[in-house]
Amino acid sequence: MRDTYDVVIVGAGHNGLTLGAYLARSGLEVLVCERRHEEGGGLCTEELTLPGFLHNVHANYHTFVDMAPPVTDLELREHGVEYVRPEVQMASVFTDGTALVIHSDIDKTCASIARFSEDDAETFRRLHAEAHGYIDLLLGTLMYQPPMSVKELTKALSAFGVEERSEFLSVKLRVETINRFLDQHFTHPKVKAHLAFHGAVCGYTNDVKGLAIGFPLLAGKIDNWNLCVGGSHRLAHALWRDLAQHGGVMIADADVEHIVVQDGRAVGVRLTDGTEITARQAVASTVSVEQTFLEFLDPASVGEELAHKVKTKVRHKDWTLFSVHLAMDRLPEYAAAEFDPDVNRAWVVNLGYGSPEELNADWATIRAGGLPDPHPNAAVNSLYDPTDAPAGCATGLLRQFAPFALADGGEGAWDEIGPYYGRKCIEEWRRFAPNLTDDAFLASAVFTPHDIVRKLPNMIRGDWMMGEISLDNMLDQRPLPELGQYRTPIDRLYMAGSTQHPHGFITFGPAYNALAIMAEDLGIEPWWRKV
Amino acid sequence: MPVIYTADWYSAVVEAINAHVAGLRGVPEGAWTCRIEIAGDGVSPYVAAGEERHFLVRIDGGRCIWYREVLGEEEEGTVLDYRFSGPAAVFDEIAAGVIDPVDAALHGTVKVRGDMRFLMRQAELVKTLLEAYATGVETTWPLGAPPYAVTGGAGDAATAGAPTTAAAATRGPADA
Repeated sequence: MRDTYDVVIVGAGHNGLTLGAYLARSGLEVLVCERRHEEGGGLCTEELTLPGFLHNVHANYHTFVDMAPPVTDLELREHGVEYVRPEVQMASVFTDGTALVIHSDIDKTCASIARFSEDDAETFRRLHAEAHGYIDLLLGTLMYQPPMSVKELTKALSAFGVEERSEFLSVKLRVETINRFLDQHFTHPKVKAHLAFHGAVCGYTNDVKGLAIGFPLLAGKIDNWNLCVGGSHRLAHALWRDLAQHGGVMIADADVEHIVVQDGRAVGVRLTDGTEITARQAVASTVSVEQTFLEFLDPASVGEELAHKVKTKVRHKDWTLFSVHLAMDRLPEYAAAEFDPDVNRAWVVNLGYGSPEELNADWATIRAGGLPDPHPNAAVNSLYDPTDAPAGCATGLLRQFAPFALADGGEGAWDEIGPYYGRKCIEEWRRFAPNLTDDAFLASAVFTPHDIVRKLPNMIRGDWMMGEISLDNMLDQRPLPELGQYRTPIDRLYMAGSTQHPHGFITFGPAYNALAIMAEDLGIEPWWRKV
Repeated sequence: MPVIYTADWYSAVVEAINAHVAGLRGVPEGAWTCRIEIAGDGVSPYVAAGEERHFLVRIDGGRCIWYREVLGEEEEGTVLDYRFSGPAAVFDEIAAGVIDPVDAALHGTVKVRGDMRFLMRQAELVKTLLEAYATGVETTWPLGAPPYAVTGGAGDAATAGAPTTAAAATRGPADA
C-alpha cells in the first residue's frame, strides 16, 4: 500500500465512499480507510440466519435514490445497483382486523385512508400534492446544499409569502410536534397513528417539538420507499466500484487510531497497526464526532472548549432499534387481508398502533429504559426481491423501537434479554399474521441495540441517525455550530458523515455537501454541479 | 406595447426589472445568469407543441443587464447559475400576471435548478425581479392572451385547452 494520497477519508460507509468517488473522479488520489472487513457501514447485508437468506443488518429503506445527485453523477445503476419501488409500500394493521395501506399509487392510498375517514383522505391528497410540488425545491434548498440557518430560511419563507400560499407549511411548525400537526389536519386516530409511526421510522419522533417542520416532506415521499435488490450492500459495492474505477483505493481492516495534525493542519492518519498515511491535501472523517475529536485527535489539537462541547453538547437519539432477522418458509398472511387483501403485498407492515397516544406512551417507557410491549414493523423484502432468499422462502425483518441502555442492567443486559424480547416481537407478528406458526421460522437472529454499537461504533448509543433529530440539531447547528459547515477548527480536516446536515439515512447528503465545501477549499472544479 | 417574446418585449422586461429594483435598498453585489426554458405544451400559441424557446437573463448587482432569446444550448463561455423550466402556458401566464411565479415554483410547475441558498438569502430581490417580470410590462398578445383555459393557473396549464381569446389582446399591469 502506498503511504501518500491527496485525501484520506475515515470510514467507508455510503458517505465516505461517495465523497471518495467524487474526489477520485476529480482527479485526486483518494484513500478510504475502513475499520471493518468490508465497505458499506450501515449498508450491510449478511446471511445472519441461514445460507442464502440475505438480511439487511442496518439500512433497509432507501427513500432518496431517485432524488440524490450521486446516484446519477456516479452512475450507480451502471455499477449494478437496482431498486424496486414496491407497489404496496407499507401498511398498518390494527387489532380490530382493519388495515390502512400506502400504495405507490396515490389514488389507492387515498381510497384506503377514506375507509377510515374521507376527510382525512382528501387532506392527505392535498398534503401529498402540495409537498410533491415543492419537494424539488426543498431538496435543492435543504438536502443537497450546505445548510442555511433556520433564521435565514424563516426570513426567506416570509419574504416569499410561503405561509400564505401553503395549506401545510407554517412558521409555527418550528415549535410544534408532529402529533400537533396531525391533530390540526387529521381526525381519525388510526390515520394519525400510521402517519406518526411513519415519521418515527424516518427518525422524526412524533412527540418532539419542532419536528413538524419536516413532516410535509416526509408525507410527500411516504410512497417513495425503495428496496435495493440483492441487499443494501449492493449500493456500497457500486460506490466502491466507482471509486476504484477512478483510481481511488478503499482498504478494509484499516482501523484508524489517530488523525495526524501538524501546525494546525490535518496531514494524515495512523492506523492501529502503526501504518502512517500522509494526506497531501485533506483528511475527511465520516465517523462520529466523539471518535473524531476525542479519540483520533490529540487533545491539544482539539482544544479544551471544543472537547468539552463534544462531550456535553453533542446529542444522540433517545431511542434506537431492536431487530429480529428471520428466515421463513412462507410469506405472512394477515388476518386484516379480509379487510384489505393488499396488506398481504405490503413491503412493510406496522403492527398494532391504533393511535398516536399509544405510540407516545411507548416513547415514555423507552426513555425510562423500559421495554414496551412490542409493536414492531415487519418488512418482507422477498415480496419484491425474490433473490434475497432461496426459492419458496422469504426473509423477514422485525424492527422495534427500544432503549439503548435498559433501566435494569444497561446496554449489557441486551445480550440476555434480546432472545426473549425477540420472541415477543415474533409473537406480536403472529397475532396479526396467524399463518406464521413456529414451523414457519427456519432460523432467527436478534440484533440488539448493543449489537449495533459493537458492529458500528460510530453509531453512538445505537444512534442510527448519528445525532439527535431535533430543530436545534439540524441545518447549520448539526452537530455543533462550529462544525455545521463541514469544516472543523483544524485546517483541512472535514466532517462528511451522517453527524452532519442533513442527517443519517441513505441520503448521500453529508458527503455531497461536504464535497462542495472541500471543492471550494481545495480548488476543485465542481464538474458535478449541474444547473 | 411590445409583443410577447420579441426584442422590444425583452427590452421592456429589462427596463421594468431595473425600475423595480431601483427602489430596493441593500441590493447584493455579484452577477448571475439564468436560463429560462419554455416548453411548448399545445396550449400556448407562442411556443409550438414539442418545441422549446430558451432565454438567458443576466443580473448584475440586482440590475438586469440583458435578456435575450438563445437557440439550443448555452452560448460558448456562458456559465449558468440557475435554470427555470416549465410549460409555455405557465410562463405565458406568469408574464401576463395571471399566475404568481412563486406559486408556480411552489407547485412544481416551474422547476428551479441551481444554488437555492442565494435565492433564499436574497428573497426580497428575487421577489422584486419576479414581480417586475410578471406585472411590469404591458404586453401585446397577438395570438390571444392568457389565461388560456377555463380556469387557468399553474396547476391547470398542462391540461388546458385552446386559447380562449383568439384575437389580439393586451394584458399588463392594468388588467393583470
